[in-house]
Amino acid sequence: MSALSLSVTEALWRRELTRYLRDPSQIFGGLSRTVLWLIILGFGLGATLREIEGYSYAQYVLPGVALLNVLFASLQSGFQLVYDRQHGLLRQILISPAPSLSVTLGKILGGATVAVAQGLIPIAFAPVVGVQISLLALAGAMAVLFAMGVGLTGLGVLIALRRGSIDNFGSISNGVIQPLYFLSGSIFPLKGIVGGIGFLDIPPALRDQLRMHGINAIGGGWVVELPGWLDMLVRLNPMTYSLDLLRWCLLDFHQLQLATNLAVTAGFGLVTTVLAIRALDRARQR
Amino acid sequence: MILECHGLGRSFGGTEAVADVSFALAEGESLALIGPNGAGKSTTLGMLTTALRPDRGRATVAGADIAAQAAQVRASLGVLFQEPALDERLSPRQTLRLHAAMHALPRHARAAAVEKALDWAGLREQADRPLRGFSGGMKRRLELARALMHGPRLLVLDEPTLGLDPQGRLDLWARIDGLRAEGMAVLMTTHAMAEAERCDRIGIIDKGRLLAIGTRAELALAHGGHAHADLEQVFLTLTGRALRDAFAGPPARVLRLPRRSA
Repeated sequence: MSALSLSVTEALWRRELTRYLRDPSQIFGGLSRTVLWLIILGFGLGATLREIEGYSYAQYVLPGVALLNVLFASLQSGFQLVYDRQHGLLRQILISPAPSLSVTLGKILGGATVAVAQGLIPIAFAPVVGVQISLLALAGAMAVLFAMGVGLTGLGVLIALRRGSIDNFGSISNGVIQPLYFLSGSIFPLKGIVGGIGFLDIPPALRDQLRMHGINAIGGGWVVELPGWLDMLVRLNPMTYSLDLLRWCLLDFHQLQLATNLAVTAGFGLVTTVLAIRALDRARQR
Repeated sequence: MILECHGLGRSFGGTEAVADVSFALAEGESLALIGPNGAGKSTTLGMLTTALRPDRGRATVAGADIAAQAAQVRASLGVLFQEPALDERLSPRQTLRLHAAMHALPRHARAAAVEKALDWAGLREQADRPLRGFSGGMKRRLELARALMHGPRLLVLDEPTLGLDPQGRLDLWARIDGLRAEGMAVLMTTHAMAEAERCDRIGIIDKGRLLAIGTRAELALAHGGHAHADLEQVFLTLTGRALRDAFAGPPARVLRLPRRSA
């Protein structure tokens, strides 16, 4: 068998999809996170924090909730490899002649596809928070979700191969998912004009006119900026750039250079994939 | 010879799981490795199936070196692990399709190979149901059908009847006997003396060393005093009566991931 077998990759990609479709709890998790973060937190906190750069709070956190679902789906898919390796089908796959490159690619592409499906759940709620998304924007968002899924599933595979066991998913959630989520600018901007309580609503027509002049908020808004140490942590997190790219696709708003966002998103996916392939190859005959 | 190993050894940290194991297996021959818990049986199988890299010695399967030519070795082997290695969310048909892809069966031949395997395992009616809820016997039949699908030359069975009821054990053995009659070479581990006695030769392994190997009669004569000595008596003579719970580490480690992949 050559170094790359598309047949192996496709078979393992299909396996990930089949597992996803036969696991309603994962879809339920994606829905419940959407309701909690987008609807309850978005509208709840949005009642106090009226605007961020001209967007309602629920609109601002929409891409972040998609990121949260991608984080859970991708890393769960990667970490599942520990159980699969100890007690599941992967033991049989690893003693087959299938090339490590193809096995890892199948796993990562499958995880990324599931991540797209999970990331689309909050995006389906976009009209509820007043965001209309064109087909082009949706296609762009799906591409970003997929790229995020590749990078994060690769990261999950890497962590899984470095750990002897994963006793509970809670430690992973607290140690990996939440830092990546909270330090990505998902629920607060790096720097921006925030509109507060008691200020007049801006009529939509006037809001559009002001935006054309580069003004996103007026009348009682104030500029917020993260403390230096927090700003640095946020900028060290690759998810910050992917999320900014996703926010640009969904809201036509971004805070970082788009070229940097693209480079970091693609680079993170490439690096974790290459490292995951090497790690799996080494772990295969230990 | 379908399998040859010379001075095979593997340590985990300071623990020597397999010290020095040498034996050979001819085409069509069956060999049972028996030994107390932690004797090194599963580690030996781990090395021979390319899941573990030996520290010492060398081995070939169908002429291919287990360390340097792992892909060729893997193509020659059909393996049954101690515990089922299945994805319970997949159906038998999906499981077999996946295996066909992993072993690069030609696309045009895959559907027929899957159907043949389903028939062999007696799972045609349940072919599209998720494996969750299948009995241990059904899962074992599926795993054996899968292990044979790519036409291996050596079947490696790690305690194949573990957890099966008497009916399941009888059925599995009938299938294994049928394969042996067709000339399949079989290497297995077991704790059941009656199962070991069904094989052409028996190897007794303890503390990582192969203490004795031969036919049942040869072992009985050499270590039991006469040709009809009880195999269990021979086993206890060679390995002692002390409990081996303390040595139960290495087989578990076969299934553990390294803490560092580098």
